[in-house]
Amino acid sequence: MAVRRSYTAIVERNVLWQGDFASEPYEAAWASEAIFFVRALDLSPDFEGGLASVQISADGIYWADEGTTFELPRKTDAVTFCKVTHFGGFLRLQGHIAPGDSIKVLVSLALKE
Amino acid sequence: MSVYTADPRLSRFDPLERVFFYDDFDEGIRGWSELIGNYEHSPDSMLPEYKDMRPPMLSNLTMWDTGTAGSMEGSYALKLATRARAGSLATSIKRQTFRKRGQIQLECYFTFKPEASELRLSLDDVRAFGVLFDLQDGMNPEYRWMPHLRYLNAVDDEMINRWQVKGKTRPFHNIGDSGETVSHFHLGPENWDFVDCPAQSLCYNEIATKMNWHYLKVKVDLAERRFIGFQCNDLSYSGEALQHISIPAMPNLNCMLNTAFWVETNRDKRAFLYVDSVLLSGVF
Repeated sequence: MAVRRSYTAIVERNVLWQGDFASEPYEAAWASEAIFFVRALDLSPDFEGGLASVQISADGIYWADEGTTFELPRKTDAVTFCKVTHFGGFLRLQGHIAPGDSIKVLVSLALKE
Repeated sequence: MSVYTADPRLSRFDPLERVFFYDDFDEGIRGWSELIGNYEHSPDSMLPEYKDMRPPMLSNLTMWDTGTAGSMEGSYALKLATRARAGSLATSIKRQTFRKRGQIQLECYFTFKPEASELRLSLDDVRAFGVLFDLQDGMNPEYRWMPHLRYLNAVDDEMINRWQVKGKTRPFHNIGDSGETVSHFHLGPENWDFVDCPAQSLCYNEIATKMNWHYLKVKVDLAERRFIGFQCNDLSYSGEALQHISIPAMPNLNCMLNTAFWVETNRDKRAFLYVDSVLLSGVF
């Protein structure tokens, strides 16, 4: 029996997001489905939350909104996620954190053939 | 005709007696993971140089101007990508152990490029790439030793195009508060020495979206702890044994046979190293 290949990349680890943020590009043309998990490792006091949007790219340089948006976690060790399919070659998250707020994140990208 | 020359995937390699692993990245990631520093309680306790060594990926070498090239053989290659920040490193490691202290030999095909984010030559945008072994004796170990080989492409605006080895690491640091964990950073810019061989200008091919694959072979002797030599395309070094990092054996690393690749960027621009395929052979 052939099993489906899968791979989880930690695209950001212990990284502080404040203001405008974007995760590093990840190349995944081999995969047909993906889940971005965001775990909050630390948050600024009274973190008001924020949104992350999935972006796709043909070349890893120029990006377009894929249309999927989800909320960032609001408590330490809380996890939020989004599911994406049919994304072509490159994936990343981007978004904006309100002035004065910050969140330290672990972003896992779980990919499957 | 040997089995190696009869198989078109293997006939481009010159393995020793037995193949230890052969990684064709059309089959998946094959054990090549991100390198991370040691930590206790929190990733904040890691040495800062180890905090962000980037996850490897499977790339089909897709370019903005010409589309997909594919790997040397098939669709996918192992890709290491730095951040777009001068000095950023991306490092991927495969962790094994050995059964006999014989000779081992790593062979691979590789190519490297900066991200094609500017429409210019970009020849000096990648600072360096390299391969290392992290080894420790087995029974009654005396030493942990680490042969490093890197190709220094450019430093700032100066092209270097020379091979280097490293004979000394940085001091060890205690990590956390238990007294059980230590760490040392061995990929810094210091303590690299030029190998006694000519400069080697590798085929860059004019723009950032054209990739030419290169052959690399590295040979070490586990029994004698000797870094025997290397070959890159038509340059071979087989002179005196090359320098390597040597430190007293550590408590839980016996028979360690780790292999790692890395790439470092020279600019605030991502640098990429692609590998397809990797073959480790040996006498065991």
